[in-house]
Amino acid sequence: MDQLLFLIIEGARNLWRHKLTALGAVFSVFFTLFLIGVLLVMNDNTDKLINYFRGKYKIEVFFNESVSNEQASKLVKNIRTIPGVRSTTLISKEDAMSIFKSQFDEDVMELLGYNPFPASCVVNVIKQKNVSLSVEPIIHRIKSLDGVSEVHYQGRLIKRIESYFQKFLKAITYLSGVVLVISIIIISNTIRLTIYSKKELIRALKLIGATKLFIQVPFMVEAMIHGLIGAVLASVTIAGSVIFVNAKLGVLYNVSLELNGIIIALWLTGIGLFISLLGSQRAIARFLK
Amino acid sequence: MIRLNNVSFSYEKGFGLSNINLDVSEGEFAFLIGPTGSGKTTLLRLIYMDLLPDSGQVEVLGHKSPKIKKNSIPFLRRRIGMVFQDYQLLDDRNLFDNVALALHVIGDDTADIYDRVMDALNDVGLSGKEQHYPSELSGGEQQRACIARAMVKEPELILADEPTGNVDPVAAYELVKLLEEINNEGTAVLMASHNYGLIKGRGHRIIEMQEGGIRRS
Repeated sequence: MDQLLFLIIEGARNLWRHKLTALGAVFSVFFTLFLIGVLLVMNDNTDKLINYFRGKYKIEVFFNESVSNEQASKLVKNIRTIPGVRSTTLISKEDAMSIFKSQFDEDVMELLGYNPFPASCVVNVIKQKNVSLSVEPIIHRIKSLDGVSEVHYQGRLIKRIESYFQKFLKAITYLSGVVLVISIIIISNTIRLTIYSKKELIRALKLIGATKLFIQVPFMVEAMIHGLIGAVLASVTIAGSVIFVNAKLGVLYNVSLELNGIIIALWLTGIGLFISLLGSQRAIARFLK
Repeated sequence: MIRLNNVSFSYEKGFGLSNINLDVSEGEFAFLIGPTGSGKTTLLRLIYMDLLPDSGQVEVLGHKSPKIKKNSIPFLRRRIGMVFQDYQLLDDRNLFDNVALALHVIGDDTADIYDRVMDALNDVGLSGKEQHYPSELSGGEQQRACIARAMVKEPELILADEPTGNVDPVAAYELVKLLEEINNEGTAVLMASHNYGLIKGRGHRIIEMQEGGIRRS
């Protein structure tokens, strides 16, 4: 017990004894964890951004002029049963006339003597997480209904957004993997340098009869402290950055980024500990042969 | 305590030792002398199993190489105190911590460590300097600290590789006297040196090495 306590304290004291090299290791952990954290925040907010854009597009269905409001109401009920449709809003002939009046300040009845507007409806589709939205089958089903005259939708825009979304998801996945591998290499090299600077200590310990574990534990403790400090700094910096970006975005677009602070901090701490320990084990293995 | 039977060892770059036979008994004091390059350090490294022989057998305190398992070597070294010409003290910690490290390695109780370290420093004449860092000490003092680190764990054997190589003649004489005092307590000492003047006439066994072999024992 005494020995374990000594080794833990020794690891912590090594940080103080070798402040400069410790600073280098902490910075490299911080930098890589910050990158990973940014990717995590982006990943969390991708859905929100996509939903924001999806909320902007809708399908407009115009019925034949001969379709009465009652018939239009039945058609809208049918449309609501189509898979993928989230909600529908009926716009009666009278509603359409009112909208025209409010937008153009002209009374159609006075101009033409009759109401030329057909009944119509606005269709909102279901937003699915991380899945590309496919509106073609919905459009096809709506068009096949009797009484439907025209279907307007921003098909090209929707497809483009969906395609960019899929590419973005793929890019984020690959980028996360690449950043993780690079960070392990960077951190293990930084730790290798710090351990190299302590090769005299390792040599002396071996000569006085220290076991491999005795030599390794302080380095592991030191690496864990590097990982923890790096994770705390990265979490705080990410939280600060999100608060800053939200302050700017909120003013301009009334949008804000979501931050699952505790989840991201836990992820970063876990990754920080993992890569620091892995790096220190890789580095020290060379000196313990 | 130490037995070498027909031991040969060669480095990748050149010759090391050839066909060495040697016995050192418990509590013995022996000088290992010979010119630079004669194989003194190689012989000591074989004894503390930093090197394993190419042929023959080295037996130290019951451990035999080359059959010894790597994870047994630290346990052998805990029973041996080692003193080096370049001290091998750690510059980033004070004298107390340098000496205490040897006791932490063997898992001694923290409560005992303070007294044992202070006693060892007292025995080597470094009382009051426990908070000093190695860079604040003279060569002789650093070597005495190295001896304190070696003896604090009460080893059965002390191997000293040219311990007087970096100190002035007076300090060298005191270091040998110190090792003799440790030997008087029952610890065997094997000290390598190329300074024949320092060791002659002291009444101890002299093992003379030349070109990788033992010329006289």
